[in-house]
Amino acid sequence: MQAWKEKYASYMQKQNQPSSVTPVPGNDKISLSLKENKEDLLDRLGQSGDLVVRDFLLFGRYEAALIFFSSLVNQEQIQEYILKPLMDRSAGHPGMPDKLADMSHYIWNVAVQVTQGTTEQDLSALPPAIVKGQLILLIEGSSEALMLDMRQIDIRSVEQPQTEQVIRGPREGYVEKLENNLSLLRYRLQSTDFRIEISPLGTRTQSRVALCYLDNLADPKLVAEVMRRISIIHTDGIIDAGYIEQFIEDQPLSPFPQVQSTERPDKTVASLLEGRVAILVDGSPFALIVPALFNQFFQTVDDYTERFIMGSLIRMIRLIALAFSLFFPALYVSVISFNPELMPTDFAVAISGGRAGVPFPAVLEVLIMEVSMEVLREATIRLPQMIGGALSIVGVLVIGEAAVSAGLASPITVVIVALTTIGSFATPAYNTAIALRMLRFPLVLLAGMFGLYGVMIGTILIINHLLFLESFGVPFMSPYIPGKWRDWKDTLVRAPLWWMRRRPSFLYTQDSTKLPDSVPGTYIDQILQEGGETGERFPTDHDPARGSRNQ
Amino acid sequence: MNDSRQITTLRAAAVISSTIIGVGLLSFPRYMAVAGNSAGPFVALTGVLVSFFSFWLLASLCRRFSTESLFVFSRRLIGRPLAMFFTLIIWLIFMTLTGLTARQFGDVATSVLFNKTPIEATIFLMLLICQLSARRNIIKFSYIHFFYLPLIIGSVLVTILISLRNVDLLNLQPVLTAPTASFWKGALEASYLFQSSFVITLLIPFMKLPKQAVRAGAIGIFVSGAVYWLIALACIGLFGAEETKLLIYPTLETARSAAIGEGFLERLDALFIVIWVISVYTSIYTTYYLASYLLQNLLGLRDQRMTSSAVLPFVFVIALLPENVFETYTWSLMLGNVSMLLLLGYPMLLWAVYWLRRSGKRGLS
Repeated sequence: MQAWKEKYASYMQKQNQPSSVTPVPGNDKISLSLKENKEDLLDRLGQSGDLVVRDFLLFGRYEAALIFFSSLVNQEQIQEYILKPLMDRSAGHPGMPDKLADMSHYIWNVAVQVTQGTTEQDLSALPPAIVKGQLILLIEGSSEALMLDMRQIDIRSVEQPQTEQVIRGPREGYVEKLENNLSLLRYRLQSTDFRIEISPLGTRTQSRVALCYLDNLADPKLVAEVMRRISIIHTDGIIDAGYIEQFIEDQPLSPFPQVQSTERPDKTVASLLEGRVAILVDGSPFALIVPALFNQFFQTVDDYTERFIMGSLIRMIRLIALAFSLFFPALYVSVISFNPELMPTDFAVAISGGRAGVPFPAVLEVLIMEVSMEVLREATIRLPQMIGGALSIVGVLVIGEAAVSAGLASPITVVIVALTTIGSFATPAYNTAIALRMLRFPLVLLAGMFGLYGVMIGTILIINHLLFLESFGVPFMSPYIPGKWRDWKDTLVRAPLWWMRRRPSFLYTQDSTKLPDSVPGTYIDQILQEGGETGERFPTDHDPARGSRNQ
Repeated sequence: MNDSRQITTLRAAAVISSTIIGVGLLSFPRYMAVAGNSAGPFVALTGVLVSFFSFWLLASLCRRFSTESLFVFSRRLIGRPLAMFFTLIIWLIFMTLTGLTARQFGDVATSVLFNKTPIEATIFLMLLICQLSARRNIIKFSYIHFFYLPLIIGSVLVTILISLRNVDLLNLQPVLTAPTASFWKGALEASYLFQSSFVITLLIPFMKLPKQAVRAGAIGIFVSGAVYWLIALACIGLFGAEETKLLIYPTLETARSAAIGEGFLERLDALFIVIWVISVYTSIYTTYYLASYLLQNLLGLRDQRMTSSAVLPFVFVIALLPENVFETYTWSLMLGNVSMLLLLGYPMLLWAVYWLRRSGKRGLS
């Protein structure tokens, strides 16, 4: 190991002299000399602390070298399954070819015990492979290099998703490694139609991007469009799925997300089954789902795993919360400062009593409180959990109690701000919640300037914007506008699963049937099919299957 | 996926009816009471029929040229200069209509609910959101109407139904009246409200089933006609004809007097104003869209994005021209007369040329 001083000296030396060797891409074959190859490779890879070159005598006779990054491979396995068989055997082993040219085939077929690997004759193909975690075996006198996949990266284990918790439903969330995420999907979707297209993206990061869809189900035009949009991304690095989202979305200037991101494999599978397309990126614990519609952003897994009445009710509560977070402060401001006659008299008296000592107009008061609430929220996200708890207590105390007694805000304002904040946290999709939370500021300003009329103008603008938006050719407000009535079964309310016989029509799936028509959906259907109510028989013949529907 | 013929018959009907239900909603019963006393609802009904006749004249013509809009095929029928002339006039009419409607809206809004907001700001904001949304294509245009219509009709119906409880049937008798001059004047006035059903000419080239244009219009006109009729019925039934004549905005008074339970939903008029603003928006949006579309047609531009901005100052100035409420009212009556003449006469002219040409062709072959 060099000391840092020497490292600095050699680095500066290298910077000062122009690089003499410019690697010619394409036609550089692997030469017969091991030394030359090694030097060439080291030259291309530069000097890295974790680059290992292990020289050894292959089968006790030929000079050979293993080149790999110690940070990307499992060294124990290399010892066990590569070095051991390659060094143990003596040259006179039966079946061993005499010619060096056949040696790599022999090694691949007989000696090493590795699942994936290829041979390569092109020297320029080797550095990218090493960077991806492959191990290179070079042999003196052979013009073929063996590339063996020994990649192993430590990852965190599968955990409960942080941003999308559920009461009832699977507890698994994505992790960073792509293979793991894909296995979580395959495990849930054991269909031969399930297709995964993987290709690297990003000129420098070469992050692998996987496009998942169900063949024979998803609209081919949609799949093609997603592929087209991904294919025209030209950037140096894809760090997270969020980078891709920003490259492929329809309307980058809109506050609303047009791509759904989720941490949940089960949610992804459900979307795939509806005929959507999912995009996963190596290194990101989020999957992107397109097309994403407004409807999706207040649905959760719980809606479907719980029984439909409760699911529907909770979904409505969530909608109310969403309306809270957007309109409440603006309505409050406009009613207080422009149309107090709209309040019931007793309430108006109470409010004006509370506001008596407050020196600011209602707009300013609400804005101050809302902004400090946002600051508090932002602060608690970044803090370690131990401090975050303490901060939120301080925040509640300071903002709630002290602000009122200091005459900064009236108690009713605090209530409004609290309702707004809580309402916005009840929206399941974080990015939509943020969009709505931020949109309430212009609404409050409009309310302060033009009163109720301003709020309505703002609302019309927001609704119009939502109506104009599209996600991958699907209108954002489908199935409300435009849409077919049958798609309304999964919108404001969640209809029973046995009633939703078709996939959403706006996704133009190739196979729209979820349940065959022969399956009786409702109890009535079954009675008609069986020619009478089963309960009409003697109550004595106890039959557990009596009340059950066939689906 | 991106087929341009996407507007269903139902959606076309929704566009027409949400266009028609607009600024006139608040004062409509007063005009009807003035025209026909207790037979006000009957006057309204006659107005609906009159306007449907003029709509039918237009739509059945457009239906025969289902791939083009009126302004395109009229050039072939009566020649470019004449067609351009008529298009210009229709453009002027709709621009003025937009301005006057916005002005009426501003007058009502500032005097009833938003009295702290200056009228210029009220009008300008309304026109601004129309301008912003008029940049979009016709499919999106129809989405907007389809989205707002259930809100408008739903809440208007709820208000009416609640107040129908208090209707005194005696106020509505006699139901019929002899058709006097004032009766016809009132019927015509009622039919002016329906003039923006002209928007069907824009929709037909984008309709899934252009043959059903007349049916769409019939649904649209009769749904909105029913809303107007019910409002007239409720107001006159509630207050009596003489009292209704004295109220400036009888519909609003009806909403004010309506209440469910003991104070459960007391202030229905606030809700009503909110909905009314939306309904005004949809109707101004349509006329604004027509104005910018016509200007685009006159100038031969690719789409109406630029013209929608160009129209804005003109419309705003027109909206500020009238000195007072009375002038606004007279002007819009005059405009109604002019456009009634034109919207009846122009299709008739086109029909005549169309028949002449057809028989000419037949004679040749």
